[in-house]
Amino acid sequence: MFVKRLLLFIPLTLVIFLVQSYFWVPTYENQAAGNPDRLVTYIEASIGDAKILNPILNADSASSNIVSHVFEGLLDLDEDLKLRGRLAIDWQITERAYLLVNPHHRFPDGTEVTGAKLFQKIHQAWKAGTIEGLQDRVQSIELLPSGKRSESISLLLPNAEGKPQLKDISVTIDVPERVALTLSEVDQDVFDRLQPILGERYFEHFPYDKLIHPQAAVPQELEEPLRAKFPDILPVGEHNPTILFHLRQGVNFHDGHVFDAGDVKFTYESIMNPKNLSPRTPDFEPIKTVEILDPSTIKIIYKRLYSPAINAWTMGILPEHLLNEEALTREKQDRGLSEEAQKTFGMRESRFNRHPIGSGRFQFVEWQGDEFIHLRRNENYWEGPAQYQDYFMRIIPELFTQEVEFRTGAIDFYGAQPHQVDRYKNDPTYQWFSSLGFAYNYIGYNNRKPLFADPMIRTALGMAINVDEIITYLVYGEGKRTTGPYPQNTEWYDQSIQPLPYDPQGARAIFEKAGWTLNRDGWFEKGGKIFEFTLITNNGNPIRKNLMTIAQNAWKKIGVKVNTQVFEWAVFLNDFVNTGDFDAVVLGWSMNIDPDLYQIWHSSQAGPQQLNFVGYKNSRADELIVRIRQEYNRDRQEELTHELHRLIHEDQPYTFLYAPLSTRVLDKKIVLVQKGSDGTEQFKKIYPTKSGDITFYFHKWRKLELTPDF
Amino acid sequence: MAKIGVDAGLLSDAVIGSSRDNRSTMWNFIVRNVAQRLILLVIVSFVAHSFIHLAPGEPSEVDPMNPRMKPEDIAKIRAAFHLDEPLYVQYAYWIRDLATGELKSFKDSQPVLPKIWDRFLNSLPLFILATILVWTWAFPTGIYGAVFRGGMYDRGTVLLSYALISVPGFFLSYLAILWVVGWFGVPVISIKTFGMEHAELPYKIMDRVWHLVIPSIMAAIGGIAILSRYVRSQMLEVLGQDYVRTARAKGLTEDAVIYGHALGNALLPFVTMFGLLLPGLIGGSVIFEQIFAWPGLGRLGYEAILSRDFPIIMTLNFIAAVLTLLGTLISDILYAVVDPRIRLH
Repeated sequence: MFVKRLLLFIPLTLVIFLVQSYFWVPTYENQAAGNPDRLVTYIEASIGDAKILNPILNADSASSNIVSHVFEGLLDLDEDLKLRGRLAIDWQITERAYLLVNPHHRFPDGTEVTGAKLFQKIHQAWKAGTIEGLQDRVQSIELLPSGKRSESISLLLPNAEGKPQLKDISVTIDVPERVALTLSEVDQDVFDRLQPILGERYFEHFPYDKLIHPQAAVPQELEEPLRAKFPDILPVGEHNPTILFHLRQGVNFHDGHVFDAGDVKFTYESIMNPKNLSPRTPDFEPIKTVEILDPSTIKIIYKRLYSPAINAWTMGILPEHLLNEEALTREKQDRGLSEEAQKTFGMRESRFNRHPIGSGRFQFVEWQGDEFIHLRRNENYWEGPAQYQDYFMRIIPELFTQEVEFRTGAIDFYGAQPHQVDRYKNDPTYQWFSSLGFAYNYIGYNNRKPLFADPMIRTALGMAINVDEIITYLVYGEGKRTTGPYPQNTEWYDQSIQPLPYDPQGARAIFEKAGWTLNRDGWFEKGGKIFEFTLITNNGNPIRKNLMTIAQNAWKKIGVKVNTQVFEWAVFLNDFVNTGDFDAVVLGWSMNIDPDLYQIWHSSQAGPQQLNFVGYKNSRADELIVRIRQEYNRDRQEELTHELHRLIHEDQPYTFLYAPLSTRVLDKKIVLVQKGSDGTEQFKKIYPTKSGDITFYFHKWRKLELTPDF
Repeated sequence: MAKIGVDAGLLSDAVIGSSRDNRSTMWNFIVRNVAQRLILLVIVSFVAHSFIHLAPGEPSEVDPMNPRMKPEDIAKIRAAFHLDEPLYVQYAYWIRDLATGELKSFKDSQPVLPKIWDRFLNSLPLFILATILVWTWAFPTGIYGAVFRGGMYDRGTVLLSYALISVPGFFLSYLAILWVVGWFGVPVISIKTFGMEHAELPYKIMDRVWHLVIPSIMAAIGGIAILSRYVRSQMLEVLGQDYVRTARAKGLTEDAVIYGHALGNALLPFVTMFGLLLPGLIGGSVIFEQIFAWPGLGRLGYEAILSRDFPIIMTLNFIAAVLTLLGTLISDILYAVVDPRIRLH
């Protein structure tokens, strides 16, 4: 029967055809052996694809990984997490401070304040050296005439439906006479130092209403919020920190175009251009002006004291000639876009983001969506070319498949989990690393709730949890106890602070001292109410879920009743954390290298949608946080951060649990190549730098043919 | 199953109408169905639009991980994406941009349609091969099961199909990857072997074929198991019919009875299933594309959902709706064309 034969024949032929394809495919062994190129190719696996390869637009880790190879910033962080020059050779930070003449004020001797008099008094004190700290910092003093300028103020107000909406109001400002001081270093106390001259309350009751005039009539409901902005746009005492960058000469972009100060200014302007919707705007918003002094010198003037602002210059610099208005116009005409598309066309739409050109160690070659991104080393890099010739980022969405590829040698690196790294620890052909990063896990208590108002109660809750055991059993030892808000590998962390002891008895004693007694069921009770609360966390993170259960059990042992609940991330944030409607949460922070903790710990940031969601409030801490972000001297900053760390540790708004170690594994054949001055090469084992990063010397990595024995 | 119920309703219209002129009835039937489906499409897309926007979470572009982002900055981004407009206005924007082809992904501001087209081309071979595997394997398996009912072969395949239906596909895929990589030492994941740019064309083609093999088998296994069960029971039903007994009584050989008389009638209901395959193009292989790092449509959609990339999710959803409606339409027409009872009455 024909049909019968067909029914057998078709599936069998199909299978035979499919199976024979196996013989055409190179085995893993053949791919590596006899392929010298593989030794100078580095292949990394990434879970997700990059989104947009532009340093001012990207916000995801895959993109920023590629961008960090292709682009280079003015600065970066060296091995000890200190800033060092890249596209900038060096930089100086000075200050220009302005003091407005306050005509409503009188000097301590009762005379009226005028520009001439104010200038004369300050100048006298400076020359005579009667005010401490003035003579050695101030370089010159001048009196600036009054003037006029106009500005647009953006207000964020709820509309009729209660949704926030932006309103712009244009104002004309009559700037009165002001005294300008040029300082050799930034001094946040310079106006306080002048107090003997100015007298008390010079900075209060400034007549803003007489000086700032809206250009059109302002609706009544906007008057109050508008007035609140006045001190920001016309501060009585204004600090303008200034950075002067000297740029590296002879650096080219990958297309051969010479890098200069114009590119730096262009990068800044692109970030601030509202059309580009750059997620970096907040980092560059403190900048007042950027001035090009000559092609290799650029001066950045800031609006106010904000020392972490300099870190923003580690961001990659864009090539102006490929993205300026002219280039974009050319591109949209070349692409033959419709009129509608031409209107909205901007840097975000440019092809550049899928074919970036920077000045970094590697240059872009190819991007196959959800498959791989290919980079090749920049032979003309100013520090000399990297050891690896090709760099690939392969997109493999499953950790399991990543590991299979890693074992077969098809990829060199993947984000191994602690339990996966464990499998390689005793294998002599692999090397593994475990190092501190910038993250920590904690239990945060809602400080606004009366139950948690007492710092001693929060301390007692912390003492009931055996953190050492958690580290050993929950994260396979890949964690380190932490005592405060800073990452342990920065100077900001005070190593002398001891973690809370594990002491359930002591914890009980604290509860009893606070008037809680154990009832018949074994729960602490006061005034007929037992000590009971709900601990929540987000779904999708098994470690947090386990931490929650461990804490619940530990507290049960001392007599505290805890209910637990897990929510989907968006619900967790919107309904509980952002609204402050929770008792306690298990969460983690991933910190930054800068010591500014304003967003997380300042009491002004405890509103809805803000990051101080536990509602921590301590006036001394507020003062320290502000001083830290305004301090430009690293040593003084360190003193302040240690004090802040101790303060937060004593208050225990969180129970600080541990900092997870990040674990990595690499083929042992990959080594660090160190070149001697005579050209000889030495191979060294790769090691993590202070930031916990092993790729700091990535440009010196090379794969050897045989496994070295160190 | 619910879908089949709906189709049956539409079919009965066809049956009643078909007593008059057959051709014009067919046209009426198609036009009416297309019109109904177009209305349904608008409703579906609007409901889907509301659901997607009502789900918690915002596009990652609106909620960047920069703690220094001020509410003013976020408001500006929201406005640029029209997220602060009422839902129906957002829907209108979406329809307008989709119609003019100006729709852009939130994620990278690239046009949505070319992006989907590229991924569609990647998914297509996987879909086609898996479908061919399902259909070419399920029929012989099911038919032999029915013919040798109760024998070792039948019992074996029943057990195997239930086993394959119960074991999750992703788990089997993991095992298959470990096994193939461990024993044969060849790459199985992604669309082609990494670093084959310089190989000759036949090698490149066969390499592509090889990379299709494991994922398509994995995607097909469940289908084979389920479909072969249907074929078996359908065949059994037909084999019990009077006309089969008549054929046997005429003294025809067993093969002639089974493949000549029974098979054609047993296969009839499956013809309509061709139409229902279409929507599988979009959502059919999310899991396998994810595990095998296949840069296809399913992964595009999955990642768009994770990052709340509304334009991509909406458009994929819209295409899926179009395919589903088109699929059921094709099924209805095929049924009307194929089944003699409907045509001749």
